[in-house]
Amino acid sequence: MFNFFSPTLLLLFQEVERTRQQQMLYSAAHPDLSKFLVIGALLFIIGVAGVLTRRNIIVIFMSIELILNAANLNFIAFSRYLYETGSVNALAGQIFTVFVIVVAAAEAAIGLGIVIALYRNKETIWVDEIDLLKW
Amino acid sequence: MTLSGYEALFFWIFALAAIFAGLLTVMARNAVHSALFLISSLVSVAALFVLSRAEFIAGVQILVYVGGVMVLFLFVIMLVNVSAEERGREEIFNNQRQVMAGLIFCLILVGAVLYSVNRGYAGLQALHPMTPEVQEAQQAARDQANDTSATGSSKITKNVEGVAGSLYRYASLPFEIASVLLLVAIIGSVMLARTLRQEASADDVDPEVLKEEIARDPELAKLEPQIEIVTE
Repeated sequence: MFNFFSPTLLLLFQEVERTRQQQMLYSAAHPDLSKFLVIGALLFIIGVAGVLTRRNIIVIFMSIELILNAANLNFIAFSRYLYETGSVNALAGQIFTVFVIVVAAAEAAIGLGIVIALYRNKETIWVDEIDLLKW
Repeated sequence: MTLSGYEALFFWIFALAAIFAGLLTVMARNAVHSALFLISSLVSVAALFVLSRAEFIAGVQILVYVGGVMVLFLFVIMLVNVSAEERGREEIFNNQRQVMAGLIFCLILVGAVLYSVNRGYAGLQALHPMTPEVQEAQQAARDQANDTSATGSSKITKNVEGVAGSLYRYASLPFEIASVLLLVAIIGSVMLARTLRQEASADDVDPEVLKEEIARDPELAKLEPQIEIVTE
């Protein structure tokens, strides 16, 4: 049977004096809260890069969704962490995630409505050509 | 929280999938490809939610984001014409100096965030010192305590029960406010996406603007009597 990270292997790891590489392997086999936070941070930064560099307004909206989703990942990871440390209302993080998803859906509907109205009037979806408020 | 065994394997698979799909979302030339990569990123993140024992949120994520928001995105991509972008005539990124400034900002952000995550997590670990083995044993005990399903092959989590209790006990007012927010979003997007013709027939255009537009398109003048009938 395919057993990727077997307990015997971990016991071996504990007995042998851990070198740096073994420590890294061990922590890779046991992803904890910090790994979730790093993944969330990377997704967030990819989203920020998309907002800052793209010209297509629809792709900018998608990057914003990516940013909100990275925040959700952090909420969920901390919710699990607090649950395990015995916090009273550890599920608050998951409740907050529901609200973030609601706000993201509302934001997407309004934003895409604005995109449609803008496209009717200006015939463009490139953000550098939409400069009505610039003087 | 510590994952181990198969959970650790799946964590790395879905984490890398989420990040690669996110990168491709930002870098794809065609907006439809961007949307599809964003869908796969969202589904991977939903899998990460399942791994952190948030099954209800994972379901909501797939239903609302993938089933609702992304379909909306695809419809809007269909409505606006992006053929110039697909044929490669248009540049998809801003001009080079702006992109450089943005990327430098992002690099600084990467450094700051990773540094603060490391520092903060060291503090957290000092606050709650627990080895992965202990956490694993506690998680296994919690999983054992759950009810067995009717087929007897798996356990049923109490996540939905917990979320519902927490939502209506601690967050019932924000819940109602969220429903009002959704109502505002529905009405707002309907108002925003109307054409001039629809606005004219609802008598909702600035008279000055309407005069100019009638000069350009005489058809619009025919819409006005309808309103008088309605208002009478």
